Amino acid sequence: MTLEKEANQAKEPLVDLIRPSSPSQEDTTAASVLSARKSATGSASRRRTRITAAAAAAMAAGLLLTACGGGAATQGTEAPAADPASAANATGSLNVCGGKDASGIYKGTVEAFTKANGKVTAKYTEIGATTDEARTQAVQRLEGKSSECDIFVTDVIWTSEFASQGWILDQTELVEASKDRFIPSTVETAKYEDKYWASPFFTNAGLVYYQKDKVAKPETWQQLYAEAAGAEGDSFVYQGKQYEGLTVNFLEMLYSAGGEVLDENGEVKIDSPETREVLDFMVQGLKDGAADRAVLTYNEDPARLAYESGNFGYQRNWPHVYRLLNATPLAGTFGVAPLPAWEGGKASGVLGGWNLAISAHSANQAGAVAFIDFATTPDWQKHVAMDFSQAPVNEAAYADPEVLAKMPFATELLASVKGAKPRPISPVYPQISQAIYKNVYAVLSGTATTENAVKTMAEELTAAKASF
Amino acid sequence: MATKFLSPGRRGTSRGVSGRDREERRLAFRMTAPSLVLMALVAAVPIGYALWLSLNQYSVRTAGLSRFVGLDNYVAALTGTHWWAAFGQTFLFAGLSVSLELVLGTAMALLLNLAFKGRALLRTVVLLPYAVVTVVSAITWETMFQPNLGLVTNVLSTLGLPGGDVVWLGEHGYAMAVIVLADVWKTTPFAALIILAGLQVISAETYEAAELDGASKWQAFLYVTLPLLRPAIVLAAIFRTMDALRVFDLPFVLTRGANGTESMSMLAYTELRENRLVGEGSALSILTFLTVMVVSVVYIRFAGGNIREVAKEEQ
Repeated sequence: MTLEKEANQAKEPLVDLIRPSSPSQEDTTAASVLSARKSATGSASRRRTRITAAAAAAMAAGLLLTACGGGAATQGTEAPAADPASAANATGSLNVCGGKDASGIYKGTVEAFTKANGKVTAKYTEIGATTDEARTQAVQRLEGKSSECDIFVTDVIWTSEFASQGWILDQTELVEASKDRFIPSTVETAKYEDKYWASPFFTNAGLVYYQKDKVAKPETWQQLYAEAAGAEGDSFVYQGKQYEGLTVNFLEMLYSAGGEVLDENGEVKIDSPETREVLDFMVQGLKDGAADRAVLTYNEDPARLAYESGNFGYQRNWPHVYRLLNATPLAGTFGVAPLPAWEGGKASGVLGGWNLAISAHSANQAGAVAFIDFATTPDWQKHVAMDFSQAPVNEAAYADPEVLAKMPFATELLASVKGAKPRPISPVYPQISQAIYKNVYAVLSGTATTENAVKTMAEELTAAKASF
Repeated sequence: MATKFLSPGRRGTSRGVSGRDREERRLAFRMTAPSLVLMALVAAVPIGYALWLSLNQYSVRTAGLSRFVGLDNYVAALTGTHWWAAFGQTFLFAGLSVSLELVLGTAMALLLNLAFKGRALLRTVVLLPYAVVTVVSAITWETMFQPNLGLVTNVLSTLGLPGGDVVWLGEHGYAMAVIVLADVWKTTPFAALIILAGLQVISAETYEAAELDGASKWQAFLYVTLPLLRPAIVLAAIFRTMDALRVFDLPFVLTRGANGTESMSMLAYTELRENRLVGEGSALSILTFLTVMVVSVVYIRFAGGNIREVAKEEQ
């Protein structure tokens, strides 16, 4: 604004436009116009100096503000930890915050906990409609040291970032005490630098839904694509929009083809024959009609809605889609399969799911520990599957007859969960994912060659890893 | 809305300032001081703060760690490819959408200026798209252009027209077309309203004179209406261009920046909010701010010159 004003002074016509006035109005306009007309050029330049001085003063004020607000570094201190024993004496109210409660699991768990506990009253607060929005909202609260939320429902990919920033409590003791409750891969998603920062709540793994009357159950990706290209109406839909979901869809294939993004030492390994093979395979699929080109605009819901039209053979999506598909005319005509294997390779996938993290600024840490203890009990994990069609983090739940009655694909789901690998673990995960999905998208949409995209991806991943 | 942009008289030549002048100026300063302070608080301080942030790097790995890097963030942005891609894409969008909005807005204003029954109602109705929240209209356009299910794609293929089997938002060029269309649909009424105000101050006598001189309707439009309308059109152009250069919501909802639609503001948002690269993101915000400012100054200089010519001709 100040700069604009300065420009204003520098050039006469600017005044004309910003303050459009008819000659008759001119005489009555603000004092500044009067003086502008009467004053000499010398005074105009003096005024300019004054404005520059004002700008400088404002800058100085800005600097002061930062000096007060930002500076103090808190690195090197040990992160506060949650105490497992505190749960017994928990009282008061508890606020659980997270994204949209599409399956009803968050509210359902909060209510059941309040009823079962008797002393702590918990409620659920929705802080964002999409996963990205929920993260932005959570980050805002955590950066502002807000005590509004005691527990954040965190996506498995947020752990490193939240932990490295000291936003959440160390839950190592809590997790170690109840480790036998969890499928090992789900606990790994809560790990950062040899400590656990959250407890797994429910997990997630990709599945393939297929029309039993039109196409065969997929064993390999190659077979799926070949069948899908076979006839019109048999093609495959997945999540190919430029966003996190594309990273997941791509990594599912890359992992099963034997490729990786970072190795155990954190070195970038994306520039590999496997990456090229998978990208070329995906591009070929779009060319020969195995995958509908519309996937370039699809995230989860549009893919599901397209599949519901009955014009497709295969769909890659999450477990909760099962319940939704069963409410359409497609009920009974579709099958559910774990993600297929790469030809000559093995089946793999990418682990999704949600964890429970305790805010470092929570005023009721004991209540939070009690809630986490309740949500992860083997008994409540059965309800996670039966009542909300989500994937439990407790292995026994998948074999429970009650669960199998409500979730007939539980065996396939468990196979997918156990075969799934985590996404790269890093505090700069958002940058890593962007480097992947932007470049994969460029290849799929035909604006980059495989070779160029792989090179750029490797460069951007290396740059992301080097961020300060 | 005032539509004549006359220069507020010629400035005096360099001359000593009288005591009365000085006193008057002091009074003026005192009277404007409250608003100056307010401006400093709501505008200058945040901008100054952003400027300071842009000269630093803030660690994404360790909480509270930062270092002063001078102009490094700017150098990185200006030597990389992302900023220039976003820069070009934003200008392409602004150029296309603003030109279409001005042409259509002028046409719309001419229609609304005709005397007919229900004119007042129509003038209100025409503004409706402008009242819709951009994100909501963007989601509606996204749905309409969806392949297989969308209204537009279905109508096009039913009528056998080209474009029915195109994945509009998944294709370079087509995606930009949808974004331009969504913007034109929403903001043409705004341009029309400003131009309509300009039309209404052109007196009927001017047209009568033109008619007496034997000018055809078309000639009257070309040599009477357009020149007199120029200030209003320029004003609409400035408002729209400044808005268009800051576009964020349309590409964010429609494409997430894919297919050559990432705007300067989107790039800054991604760095700031998604990647928490506060210094780098602030540098991009300041660059966006400077770009918009330079464009408006150039605009006003160029247009201001024109207006002065018009004013001279009128005299």
